[in-house]
Amino acid sequence: MVEAIKHFINTGTNPKILFPILIVVYFFMFPSTDFMYKVHKKLGLNNLWTKKGGIGLFTCLFLFFLFGLTDPNFRLIVTKPDNVPIVGLLFLVFFFLWFSMKQAWDNDRRTDEGKLPQEAEDSREKILVWPDLVYIEFIALLLCAALIIFWAIALNAPIEEPANPSVSPNPSKAPWYFLGLQEMLVYFDPWLAGVIFPTVIMIGFMAIPFIDNNPKGTGYYTFKERKMAISIFMFLWLVLWIFLISTGTFLRGPNWNFFGPFEYWDPHKLEALTNINLSEYVYMIWQNRSLPDNILLREMWGFLALGAYFGGMPLFLALTFFRGIFKKLGVLRYSVFSFLLLMAMFLPIKMFLRWAFNIKYIVAIPEFFFNI
Amino acid sequence: MGKDQRYYNINKLNVIFAIAACTLLFALISLFANDYSRKWKDYQKEFHLLEIENARTKYDAVMNQLDGNEEYQTLLKELDEAEKGHAEKCGAIAHSEELTQLQAENDLVQQNYKFRKAELDAAKYRFEATEAHPAYGQDLEATKQEFLTLEKQVDDLQLKLESSNTRLTQKKKEIDACSDELKKLDRQRYELAKQKELIERKLKNIDPNAMDFTNQVAQMVRDLPVLDLANPNYKIEQIVLKDIRDDVNFMTVPKVERCMTCHLGISNPDYKNAAQPYKTHPNLDLFIDKNSPHPLEEFGCTVCHGGRGRGTDFISTAHTPSSDTQKKEWEEKYDWHELKLWEEPMLPKQYTEAGCFKCHSGETAIKGADKLNLGLQVIQRAGCYNCHQIDQFKGWPKSGPSLRMVKSKLSKDWIYKWIEDPKSFRHNTWMPTYFNQSNNDDPESVKRSEQEILAITHYLYTESEEFTADKMRAKGSADRGKELVASVGCMACHNVQPQSIAEKTTKDTLRREHGPNLIGLGSKVSKEWIYSWLKDPNRYHPTTRMPNLRLSDQEAADIAEYLYTSRNEKFEAKKIPAVDQKVLGDIVLGYLTSMDTHAVSEEKLAAMTQDEQLYFAGQKLINRYGCFSCHDIKGFDKAKPIGTELTEIGNKSTHKLDFGFVHIDHSKWGWFSQKLKDPRIFDEGKEKAPDEKLIMPNFYLSQEEVEAAVTVLLGLVNEQPVEAKKVPRTPENLQFEAGQKLIAQMNCQSCHQIQGEGGTIQKTITDWLVEYEGRAASDAEKVTSSFSPPNLKGVGQKVDPNWLFNFLHQPTDHMRPWLNVRMPTYNFNAEHLNMLVKYFHTIDEEKFPFNFEADTSLTDKEYKAAEKLFSKDYLGCAQCHVVGDQMPYGEADAWAPNLALAKTRLNPHWVLKWIKNPQDLVPGTKMPTFFDPSDFENAGPPDILDGDENEQIRVLRNYLFHLSEVSPKAKTVSVTPAEPAPAATATEETQ
Repeated sequence: MVEAIKHFINTGTNPKILFPILIVVYFFMFPSTDFMYKVHKKLGLNNLWTKKGGIGLFTCLFLFFLFGLTDPNFRLIVTKPDNVPIVGLLFLVFFFLWFSMKQAWDNDRRTDEGKLPQEAEDSREKILVWPDLVYIEFIALLLCAALIIFWAIALNAPIEEPANPSVSPNPSKAPWYFLGLQEMLVYFDPWLAGVIFPTVIMIGFMAIPFIDNNPKGTGYYTFKERKMAISIFMFLWLVLWIFLISTGTFLRGPNWNFFGPFEYWDPHKLEALTNINLSEYVYMIWQNRSLPDNILLREMWGFLALGAYFGGMPLFLALTFFRGIFKKLGVLRYSVFSFLLLMAMFLPIKMFLRWAFNIKYIVAIPEFFFNI
Repeated sequence: MGKDQRYYNINKLNVIFAIAACTLLFALISLFANDYSRKWKDYQKEFHLLEIENARTKYDAVMNQLDGNEEYQTLLKELDEAEKGHAEKCGAIAHSEELTQLQAENDLVQQNYKFRKAELDAAKYRFEATEAHPAYGQDLEATKQEFLTLEKQVDDLQLKLESSNTRLTQKKKEIDACSDELKKLDRQRYELAKQKELIERKLKNIDPNAMDFTNQVAQMVRDLPVLDLANPNYKIEQIVLKDIRDDVNFMTVPKVERCMTCHLGISNPDYKNAAQPYKTHPNLDLFIDKNSPHPLEEFGCTVCHGGRGRGTDFISTAHTPSSDTQKKEWEEKYDWHELKLWEEPMLPKQYTEAGCFKCHSGETAIKGADKLNLGLQVIQRAGCYNCHQIDQFKGWPKSGPSLRMVKSKLSKDWIYKWIEDPKSFRHNTWMPTYFNQSNNDDPESVKRSEQEILAITHYLYTESEEFTADKMRAKGSADRGKELVASVGCMACHNVQPQSIAEKTTKDTLRREHGPNLIGLGSKVSKEWIYSWLKDPNRYHPTTRMPNLRLSDQEAADIAEYLYTSRNEKFEAKKIPAVDQKVLGDIVLGYLTSMDTHAVSEEKLAAMTQDEQLYFAGQKLINRYGCFSCHDIKGFDKAKPIGTELTEIGNKSTHKLDFGFVHIDHSKWGWFSQKLKDPRIFDEGKEKAPDEKLIMPNFYLSQEEVEAAVTVLLGLVNEQPVEAKKVPRTPENLQFEAGQKLIAQMNCQSCHQIQGEGGTIQKTITDWLVEYEGRAASDAEKVTSSFSPPNLKGVGQKVDPNWLFNFLHQPTDHMRPWLNVRMPTYNFNAEHLNMLVKYFHTIDEEKFPFNFEADTSLTDKEYKAAEKLFSKDYLGCAQCHVVGDQMPYGEADAWAPNLALAKTRLNPHWVLKWIKNPQDLVPGTKMPTFFDPSDFENAGPPDILDGDENEQIRVLRNYLFHLSEVSPKAKTVSVTPAEPAPAATATEETQ
């Protein structure tokens, strides 16, 4: 029975299964449109953002870890001093997610009842910076310092034995905050995953205040009034950041292979590498002929696809789903917004293409180290 | 500020604050404590107690001894009285007013002198500077005056000081003279109680009970946190080895050893029985000690033992458990785990000797490293170096016999059965087994193996040249043959052992397995072949190590007859399978397709006759299995060894070893041991085509052989890092190593003891004495050495190099004619002979060029005296020594070498020393000591040469050098003693 559950979880955590499930669940959890919002409410998912829901959520998380700790492989990975903070991170992320969503839904309920948000009530009360705020900040500081010292004593900093250049650690992992980037390297060439994407992320952060000038939700938590903004943010934050970090920490083993949480990290595990480029699909499989010598001709289809995605998609969206947004933002801001969004979606799309169709590159020009 | 304006309850916050502050304080203290407490400090504290206890015990013992020492006790009493007397007698002078005053005066004058001198130096500088660089406002004359005045003052003061000194010394002398007696007594006391004083001083330093109060306080304070930066008791001990460097990636750093931080008693013989980590090193004569060849300060610890010298705790030093039990124990006790990235972990205890080989890799036998030596012997015997290149074994001969003329020696069937399972013919053969192993014993593989062996046999037979065996020129007798085998020396390298006996492998057993076990020869070869082989081994196998025993036709025929009687019927009865066309075709096709396409291969195969297929497959298979590595096979003269090179195998990273699916300890030694025990084991659980399988054959090594061989493998490392510590490449060392190698190759130590090692044959000589000479076992053992090949101790000093060269080239039986066992004739070339000559002279520290000249002339008087000494009435030399063709008149048990050979054979300087005191040169020799070294002056007969012993020895030596191959009687006629023997001739001969 226990083995069956473990096997089930091991299979289920394979990203080919987990990632699509996560995306589907995500759309129900953070509905971005009115329609989904109604579905969300109808399914009673909003109950998650109550005290009972929170207790349920955390009980599940705790139970999972408790159950997991009985397994030696799971225990080995989770209790590794490097990984303990990531476990903490998971709990903290879940807690703050739940807490903020609870406040947002509470406020939404209040607005439905015609009351002002909770924060409006709070702002009527007055608290002195000195001594009240400074005092509790100081206490927090002391406790945090004590916590960190105890932590350092209990779990020695993972300074390992002297390195050996002929024996590199397997898996070689980036520091936890870079694991998302390292995960991207599986799907994109370094110039994209390591240079372009991080740059776009920075620019994206800078662009946020210019794109999102919706005054609603300023100073208080709300979901109903900012469905789109919150769901986009949550997607980037939870799916493309936290999920990739925890995958990188717990599910990527030797040779960067995927391992279920209860699986033994066998360094000899072999996975067949049968990835294929889009041009090979088009010419070799569909048309049954060899690849053209001309690079541009060969990669034409990839360029067309990318052109359609980055050029055609914004137009299409402007005319359909994003008609309202397009009107609100205007041409320039809409272009930037749609570009950033499409860029962000490019990663999960490429991941999906890799898992579903073994797509290696959409545009593959190894002659010039240009692969997308 | 009103209470109502406050959001939080201040009292509650204060309490929380207090708790938080205390928590942080506690955290900080824990941090300090955690940082301060180190395991090595605990060890040092414990050792400190041990040290005190040890010193106290010693102190008690010394005190007990002193208490019982009457001399000491009386001395104490005398001293006591003397002190009393001294106070009365000298008290007045010692404490007189005058002395105090003199001292005070002297101090003052001294200070004045010093200050004035300083002023003078400054004035001198001013004067010189002004003179050299005159500048405005500086008066040269004034500075000069100042200088001169001061100079005068200093001179005056010096005189004053001198006179004060003299007066003071005078006074002190007076006092000293008065207390002379007391001092003398005290010195006597100190002499007797030196030990006590030393221990007392030590105790004062370490034992809190014996310390004075200041020291006690200092003792407490110096190890407190933070204060311990100055001069703590407990600190990391380290030595830096500047000429050995650790590679820390992209640069090297001097090796640092901190092992003594915990292994505190390592160099102190007092802790022989202490528990680890305080225990003394088990071999201080060879290691650690300042006077040993490997002092700690120069060699450190990890150079030999491996491990991380810079580490200061049990794990970071890369300790390695020597067994699973110890591993479990350590895991519980120390939370031990392996350092995965440190490539040179400590060698497990059983492999420690591997460390010796780093620097002594040129040697074939390293003094004190018995297991390593055994391992080297196993490798020599098994011939690992044939398939695996090992630089240290470059130039070693192939291990197996030549197969160039195998057709004339063996039948095809015999070869098949032998290859299939060599152990079925000879249970202790060193020919390893290739077939029916763990990765090819399934029915399908067995079928394939059968065809493979048929193909190999076919190839060997087809390519074999002709050899015509000699006709036997005498009719042999098996009984006589048996006795000859037992006595003539065959048993040095061979044994006759029909059944396997459980016996631990030792140096000696391996020496007796130098050649094959002489069983079943009747089932193997013809009588004529044995006869031919015995008469001249080099005719069949030009590079064989089997020497020629110079057997007569009759002797050779007898031995051939005897050896031929032994048969192995079970082996003879084994069946030979027929050629299976399908399987053979598959084998051939497999090789063809590796060179061409399937279609072409099929065509080629179809075009081959069966013999062609067998030949083709045989050639490929010999190449694959590497048969040519050990055997000389036609067509493979230029083939390269097939195994992994082992020259630096000890450096191979564990990560690069394929452990497959075998669950063993992931360590180098674990892998090596497993590989040697079952070379095919790592194929277990793997899906492999026949030509991908592991092919290393099984030597069926015993546990101790495996362990010894693994020790060598671990010692085969890159020697670059220890270059500075390697045995220096001096000509002497090179000669020594070259000789050692040749001696190992030729198995000399099976007959002779060389450097105290060898003489394996003696056991079989005892057996021969019991069985054929009718001696009782105990008696036989006593006289064995008289009938055995000689102990070669001191040969380098003893014999003339020319003679040695010639003797090794063409040995004669004249020297010890009573011996049955013979020094065989080896096929040595001049280089070999020189190598051996130099080796023997090197080990006996006889420097090249050799000076073996001496004036051996005799006057008439001296000759007569010598003759007398030589005779029965005096020393009776001929009682034991053979002289020319005259056998000794004494018991055969004590016969000794032919003295007629003395002139050409011996070093005249050595003979003097030898006659003087033989026990000094070869302890335990049968040669009697005629001149008692304890009373040398009166040892010789007083009536010869006025009882001058040195003269007696000299004339006796010269007399011996005049004896020739003719009997001494004849000699007296031929030599006219009036004329001094021509020294020039002797010189020419020795050069």
